[in-house]
Amino acid sequence: MAKSPRADADTTSTMKNSTSPIGLVHPTDTAIAALIFAVLGFLYYETTNFDEVSALFSQNVPPTMFPRILLFTIGAMALSLPFEHIMLAKKGKNIDKDRSQSLPSITWLTMLLLICILALFEYTGMLITMFLVCLLMPRLWGEKRLVVTIAFSIGFPLIVAAVFSGILGVHFESGMFGFGI
Amino acid sequence: MDAFIQGALLLSTPENIGLIAAGVLIGVVVGALPGLSSPMAIALLIPFTIQLEPVPAIAMMAALYCAGTFGGSITAILINAPGAPPAVATALDGYPMAKNGEPGRALGIATISSVTGGIISLLVFIVAAPALASVALEFGPQEYFALAVFALSMLASMSGKSSIRNMISGFVGVLIGTIGIHLTTGVERFTFGFSELDEGISFIPVLIGLFAMGEMLSQSQTLNKHVERIQAKAMRLPTMAELKSLRGTILRSSGIGTFIGILPAEGSTVAAIIGYNEAKRFSKTPEKFGTGHAEGIAGPEAANNAAAGGAMVPTLALGIPGSGSTALILAALIMHGLRPGPYLLNETPEFLYAIFIAMLFANLAFLGIGLVGAKFFSMITFIPKQFLWPAVFVFSMIGAYSGSSSFIDVWIMMGFGIVGFFMNRHGFSAAPLVMGLILGAMVEETFSQSMIIYDNNFMMMFESKIVILFFALTVVSLTSPFWSLLRGKK
Repeated sequence: MAKSPRADADTTSTMKNSTSPIGLVHPTDTAIAALIFAVLGFLYYETTNFDEVSALFSQNVPPTMFPRILLFTIGAMALSLPFEHIMLAKKGKNIDKDRSQSLPSITWLTMLLLICILALFEYTGMLITMFLVCLLMPRLWGEKRLVVTIAFSIGFPLIVAAVFSGILGVHFESGMFGFGI
Repeated sequence: MDAFIQGALLLSTPENIGLIAAGVLIGVVVGALPGLSSPMAIALLIPFTIQLEPVPAIAMMAALYCAGTFGGSITAILINAPGAPPAVATALDGYPMAKNGEPGRALGIATISSVTGGIISLLVFIVAAPALASVALEFGPQEYFALAVFALSMLASMSGKSSIRNMISGFVGVLIGTIGIHLTTGVERFTFGFSELDEGISFIPVLIGLFAMGEMLSQSQTLNKHVERIQAKAMRLPTMAELKSLRGTILRSSGIGTFIGILPAEGSTVAAIIGYNEAKRFSKTPEKFGTGHAEGIAGPEAANNAAAGGAMVPTLALGIPGSGSTALILAALIMHGLRPGPYLLNETPEFLYAIFIAMLFANLAFLGIGLVGAKFFSMITFIPKQFLWPAVFVFSMIGAYSGSSSFIDVWIMMGFGIVGFFMNRHGFSAAPLVMGLILGAMVEETFSQSMIIYDNNFMMMFESKIVILFFALTVVSLTSPFWSLLRGKK
């Protein structure tokens, strides 16, 4: 049964003015902040590799200026991430609400399936790719009716291809095997 | 008057009317389907409207935006799962009223409140947008920079878990916008040797990835979630006596929604929540809220639809998005080669009136759609996720690919989908990133121009009173999340 928004409101009001049980530093958010700083550091290093231009040509606004301002600003904000949970707990918000449980395997498998299908696009072309998505994803997500799934995986891509290719003029790659509209 | 007539003529062809009607229909369907949203639908629609003329394309998206806000109330009322974030507050009283055996009445109150809120905000839009545009004509680069910084600061109070994370997302969006060749100097920035990135990252795959793919991966986590559905047989419009009792709530919430919509970055979700809270505060029977009270439906619905019209004011008049959805409409305007802002409204005022007419049509159309199709739209919620989301992925793939017929864009879409999913999981919302991406070019351009004008002396910008005003508002906006803590301590 879908959770009532009133239950959420009750939970929130109960949590209001509470303190976070985690302590001063949130481990997950510390890891996220560390990751952000690593990326920022890499990007800052990249700015040192930008081509140099004379001050006259760049009119005293070198191409590195704005990206570096952004990098420092993001870094300054990221400093507060490990401690933010304390402030959020005082407002009755739980930063861990959506990530308290580990990701189900179905989510990882969905990502993997779609990446694999897209990796084959060069060979399969758009139409076969659509067919594979419409066939394999419902099965992965628990659809047991094989006939319905096959009908969907054949009919839907054909309708989409006819509408987009025929009416809207979108060109569909036919892949190495040359199968397409 | 001439501009109004020209605007009406622009839309008066059967094809354009059909496109607007399609926008309304798509908006209601998308809004009604849990997991799908107006921003997602607009993101998916953008690549397919590139071939259309700008006016009908934007009019279609504006109509979709209005209708999507309304469509979310259908699932909010019938299955307690708001189809769109702005309908969150509607569920608080809409679902209890439906459970009490009055789903038709709940839908009727939601519809009338939405239509009223939408029309009131459109009247404000048609007056305020040209007025704001005429003021903005006096703006120089420094004023625009200050305005853009203010808009970015408003991300702190955008709906989401955390102000800081919203801001980080927003600035990451601005940073992504720096990828490509720097226009002033021709220097390649963050291209990593890929010539495909010389022109930067295209909006479309990013938008589709963040909104559609990210949500699809979120939905994969709740496949087995059972949802109790209430089927509505027909919508029942409120009686005159009921309308009279709700009049104050609807008018107040419409005003609140319009004002909040006009503020940069705030949109229908914030408006709906404030609309609900204010309706409760001014109600003679606040203890009835949460039990299926009519005012608890009228308040948020009038506010969330009013915010849609209000959000178009800064979007068209200033080129600053009023909400996440209008950020996408802004992206569409840019992709059609238009530069939103005072010059657009000054040179082509008929464009403003065309958008106004399209949104007015949408507000009236979903009244009719709701009356005729309530039963149908309630059945839409029965579409299994196992077929709905593969279909969304197919549309996403085609949408990302068709922009420049490059499969790199499909990989960008997939990449941002995965990144967006994990961002969302850790409290970093996608909408601020999109706002930052859209605003990024304007921020850098006006910053550079200001630095050139003032010979790198940043403080000289504050000679302008407007700059001082916007930076003061920025400080207010950035500190607003802390006010509640200070009040709590007292």
